[in-house]
Amino acid sequence: MSTTSQKHRDFVAEPMGDKPVTALSGIGEVLGNKLVEKGFDKAFVVLGQYLLLRKDGELFTEWLKDTSGANTRNATSCAQCLREWCDSFL
Amino acid sequence: MPVFVDDPAQFSKPRLKSDLLAHNVTLPVAESKKQVYVKLYLKHISQKNAPDFSNDEEDYQQEVVEVQDSQDREEENKEDPEMTDPCGLTDDELKATLFKYGVEAGPIVATTRSIYERKLQRLLEPAQPRQNGGTGDANQYSDSEEEEEEWGSEQGRPETVSLVEEYQHANEQEPVTDVLMEMFPETEPTRTGITATRRRPIKGAAGRPVQFKYPDLLASPMTLQRQALERRLVPLSVQILVFLILTCLFYLIYAAMEHSSYHPFVALLDNLSMGTETEGLSLQADP
Repeated sequence: MSTTSQKHRDFVAEPMGDKPVTALSGIGEVLGNKLVEKGFDKAFVVLGQYLLLRKDGELFTEWLKDTSGANTRNATSCAQCLREWCDSFL
Repeated sequence: MPVFVDDPAQFSKPRLKSDLLAHNVTLPVAESKKQVYVKLYLKHISQKNAPDFSNDEEDYQQEVVEVQDSQDREEENKEDPEMTDPCGLTDDELKATLFKYGVEAGPIVATTRSIYERKLQRLLEPAQPRQNGGTGDANQYSDSEEEEEEWGSEQGRPETVSLVEEYQHANEQEPVTDVLMEMFPETEPTRTGITATRRRPIKGAAGRPVQFKYPDLLASPMTLQRQALERRLVPLSVQILVFLILTCLFYLIYAAMEHSSYHPFVALLDNLSMGTETEGLSLQADP
């Protein structure tokens, strides 16, 4: 049972366009910087990775934890955020 | 001889700990550095990768198991020499191997490769440490692997050991049915075996935008509110009736309260009539 945060709701409510990676739910400044270092500077690039993994939340959380050092909670939140976004806009 | 790429330094600390627990290795009492766990892991678990499979079995049993295992391994090696080494596989082979385990993998690209390799490793791993249960039946490897992967690879190793024993018992019969999975068939199997169902957010509460949260509703919120109001109208007549009954009741109670109530009433009426008379008189007096 989990309730969504305001950030999640804001992200899922509209097409992501050129939003930075920190706009994703669960990705704050620290994680965002680490992702930018790896080349994932925009939210759509992270979306690209999520889609490459065939929208598998489990694999995506694992990838995110490896790439940015996120903990399980943040990674799951990000995966859920992307999943819902895809449900609405993809 | 199979080659397992075991790099425990890449594992996370909780993973090392749970792996060690699954192999019945005593952990240090206090929290130690990761290096300690890595050493323990290498010491005990790389031993297990060698021919001697279980420390608990006696020597002659060990030999029997060895022979069986080496025979199985040889067979496996003949079929697929690179099957047990995810890192040595090409992209296509990796994808094909994952597909054999029922995992539909996406494109194997630079960023996704390590993830899929690890997944394959996790799928292959439960084949080894099963000997701890003491079953020693080497022929059940392939069957239990197929059963295992459906539930994902759990992170808690002790859980996998007990679950694995379940699978072995249920192997001859039907596969184990999970009630929770039956109830919610659409949820994806997670690594920990725990699925959380999301509670439906309260409509309109805390500024939640209603239109995006409930796209499956046929009626708009306005019609719903109207329906709610209409529902209230039905018992409204009942409410009015009850109100009237209560009013009469109180009136009667008041009337019955004093036996000399006649007089106050009469006095009241007199006052009223007097009041009206004086008014009338005053009205008449004015012009």
